[in-house]
Amino acid sequence: MTLIVEPDYGTPAVRGGADARVTIDGREITVPAGTSVLRAAKEAGIDIPKLCATDSLKAFGSCRLCLVEVEGARGTPASCTTPCADGMVVSTQSEQVVEVRRGVMELYLSDHPTSCAGCARGNCEMQDLAHQVGVDTVRYGLGGVSHLAEPADTTNPYFAYEPSACIVCSRCVRACGEIQGTFALTVQGRGFDSRITPGGTDFLSSECVSCGACVQACPTDALTEKSVIDLGMPSRSVLTTCAYCGVGCSFKAEVRGSGSESRVVRMMPWKDGGANEGHSCVKGRFAYGYASHRDRQLHPMVRDTIGEEWRVVSWDEAIRRVAEGFRSLQGRFGAGAIGAISSSRCTNEEVYVVQKMVRAAFGNNNVDTCARVCHSPTGFGLGQAFGTSAGTQDFASVDDCDVILLVGANPTDAHPVFASRMKRRLREGARIIVADPRRIDLVRSPHVEAAHHLPVRPGTNVAFVNAMAHVIVTEGLHDVDFLRERCEDASDYLTFIAGAEHSPEATADVTGIPAEELRAAARLYATGGNAGIYYGLGVTEHSQGSTMVMGLANLAMLTGNLGREGVGVNPLRGQNNVQGSCDMGSFPHELPGYRHVSREDVRAIYDDLWGVRISPHPGLRIPNMFDSAVGGTFKGLFVQGEDIAQSDPNTAHVESALKSMELVVVQDLFLNETARFAHVFLPGTSFLEKDGTFTNAERRINRVRPVMPSPTGKDEWEIVCDIATAMGYPMSYAQPSEIMAEIASTTPTFAGVSFERLDAEGSMQWPVNDAAPHGTPTMHIGQFVRGLGHLATTHYVPTTEVTGHRYPLVLTTGRILSQYNVGAQTRRTANSTWHPQDILEIHPADAEPRGISSGDVVELTSRVGSTHLTAEVSERMPPGVVYTTFHHPVTGANVVTTENSDWATNCPEYKVTAVQVTVVTETVRAAYEESVATATGSVR
Amino acid sequence: MSGESAVIRLGHDLVRNFQMLPREQAATEIATHIAKFWEPRMRHELMAHVRLGDMAMHPLLVAAAEHFVDHEINRGDLREASG
Repeated sequence: MTLIVEPDYGTPAVRGGADARVTIDGREITVPAGTSVLRAAKEAGIDIPKLCATDSLKAFGSCRLCLVEVEGARGTPASCTTPCADGMVVSTQSEQVVEVRRGVMELYLSDHPTSCAGCARGNCEMQDLAHQVGVDTVRYGLGGVSHLAEPADTTNPYFAYEPSACIVCSRCVRACGEIQGTFALTVQGRGFDSRITPGGTDFLSSECVSCGACVQACPTDALTEKSVIDLGMPSRSVLTTCAYCGVGCSFKAEVRGSGSESRVVRMMPWKDGGANEGHSCVKGRFAYGYASHRDRQLHPMVRDTIGEEWRVVSWDEAIRRVAEGFRSLQGRFGAGAIGAISSSRCTNEEVYVVQKMVRAAFGNNNVDTCARVCHSPTGFGLGQAFGTSAGTQDFASVDDCDVILLVGANPTDAHPVFASRMKRRLREGARIIVADPRRIDLVRSPHVEAAHHLPVRPGTNVAFVNAMAHVIVTEGLHDVDFLRERCEDASDYLTFIAGAEHSPEATADVTGIPAEELRAAARLYATGGNAGIYYGLGVTEHSQGSTMVMGLANLAMLTGNLGREGVGVNPLRGQNNVQGSCDMGSFPHELPGYRHVSREDVRAIYDDLWGVRISPHPGLRIPNMFDSAVGGTFKGLFVQGEDIAQSDPNTAHVESALKSMELVVVQDLFLNETARFAHVFLPGTSFLEKDGTFTNAERRINRVRPVMPSPTGKDEWEIVCDIATAMGYPMSYAQPSEIMAEIASTTPTFAGVSFERLDAEGSMQWPVNDAAPHGTPTMHIGQFVRGLGHLATTHYVPTTEVTGHRYPLVLTTGRILSQYNVGAQTRRTANSTWHPQDILEIHPADAEPRGISSGDVVELTSRVGSTHLTAEVSERMPPGVVYTTFHHPVTGANVVTTENSDWATNCPEYKVTAVQVTVVTETVRAAYEESVATATGSVR
Repeated sequence: MSGESAVIRLGHDLVRNFQMLPREQAATEIATHIAKFWEPRMRHELMAHVRLGDMAMHPLLVAAAEHFVDHEINRGDLREASG
């Protein structure tokens, strides 16, 4: 495959409206009225020179290169800002415009480096344009005043700013504002003195979030990826999908070389990507270097005990060791003594074969996935309410929202590309209600101001959502017709929620939300037009996570905000394939497609196809596996791409469980924290080597295509098949497309999915079947999957994790933009420049009496453990609540989180831990800082 | 709740969630949940606590445990997907 160069139409497409028929250089073309002449010309195959225009940005009209003549109009208007009108006749190559363009181009070139050979970009639009407009000399000479000697800014780890090449077209400034919504860049000065600046400082010190939009927009070499400078321009592109968050952005992996010599030069967001539409964040765009990091393990290894050194062995020996070990454990302790955990960072095909291995080769249902510790309450709650375990909308739906209710999510950090889309809608006038204890960026940031910030106290979400519903019902704001036509009898729920105990006034002391503020927010949600709910782990990771999900579903049903664009209930999934791994039957009680294992009709499908008898009993969930291991009945575990020793709560308990097992098998890129307890290590493949599919938070199935072959000699699905085969259950596929074919043949929601169709359509959102052959962007139109919607009575049951004299503060955890999950990937990239260690945010009212200042190393203690980290005194958190991330094993925030979990799904209650914070001694501080320095140095 | 066995802790989580319902309905809901989501050894362990007369068990959990002995999952309960 060659390098994919996407056409640039100069200005965005215009949707809908009447047609305009125009004639450009004698060619007739019909476009939606309002389409720019520049775009219409491009669509007719006519290239008009341009510099400040690009089709991801609104027309700007500053470069004066795209001038045209229009019959009957005076002068030479800029084609980018001239809308097509019916009957318009345009000339793009008249003598006058050609002459003007040539003069303009000369002026640009008079203050631009003359050596194209020294330009790293290799596709500088200046070079092409100079040729296009016929400029080969500059009449003004090159000795005058210029910007050619200005120093470069190389502070950002991923891109360089070379001001000598800058033509001040403002594409970068507009990209930062219009696309990313950060507004970090500006034009400083006037006239000849105009310069692009990241707010008067250098890029690293600025507000820049390194999304790459400015670099992508730059038409010259002024903003260029350092990887391009270092490696040169790529020679081929591979369309694939990001392996970070649940947004699932499509990228062109741009590569030099082939086969095992392939080297990724850069990741460029794909304009036709259904989820990201050409945008990216610092993780997907730049933080891919972990795949070739020196820590990457490429060979299978074994050891007899966890105290021994690893010994590299052949694949055959490693597979045999796993198979014989697991069979031996089953022989001694029973079929249920072993199990597996699959990863939401792996493809649908890879997780499908893991659950098949467990059910067919292990002969039990002891398979679970990391969704257990993040969005399992979403599956339960939305399943109960609507009948399917997924969000209701596509991302584009937010463009039609009038009101956004954002609960327990921080999209600008955790789902940045979707956050940019959300911020764009807010700039257009939509209003946002933020329910979160922390003052996240969407409470207040450039051009964004929340209509209401409801600082709900951790652990009280259900009281909050009930109060919202109470206001809606008691003030008569609910949609009676929707409830009557679309839902089961809601009278019990309406009576329940109208109870005075749910009023904002009655719950204010519990939730910490002033009653009038909550009432105003509820009224806005119910009456402000299309209202969409977006939520994250601040909803699910509570002992009442499932109840809260049902409470949010109740709000949407009460107000009729379902079944069309601009509304709905939308979980923002954490990892790239959380949705997919759940879809694929990775839960211990469900076969693919969310069908309970007790259903004979569903088991029969797999019994017949796989030639086995599947157990009708649910298997162990992840926390149950740990408990059973400690209890002595669970002895062997296969862990695919998860670092449970760092990511799961109550680290001491997890480590105790791992130590209790006789055979722990870790399949991963790195020797992670869990691998410290493993007996067999099987090297995995990075997303750059995988062939398969990911399913994102909007149910969009995207292709993941290999950029290079697996350096380990095996794909991950092959390893799993080999283990099953060695255990006596033959499993083999010639290629992953065959696995998807099996999924499609057995799972109704995937019936119409195949690699061929995905390649043809780009992506599809499940359900994909005869009724929806191209997929289903919006669910529950007309009726719910379960028929009638179910409004559950959502009793508020307080968590048992309460503060007191010993542990007076509540710890809640979250993510930060530059790091991802346990940091296994991002810590091995330059992203650690921004976040080299986990930080504890603490309110001044809590810091001062403890003698804590910003920069102090503190001890964080809960009833299950203690750890150290650096404090930052901040008013982002309310008094009584502290916050940190869990990206760094040096701190290992889960040392202090407890075994409390959601009543329905056992999703851990990461968001509520009673803690105490104290300043440490100088000795402890020095030891901690040395640990951080060592860890930072070792992963770079 | 420290010192509780895991199944008792998980069972008491269910009790707290359903105890506002009428007793028989609550016991049925808890039993159904356990039947749908608990692996057999966990159910057996819970039953062992009942047989031993574990005084730490909430009476509603005892009632639920007794309720789901030989309980077949109601197929009508299976339509909702769940985590």
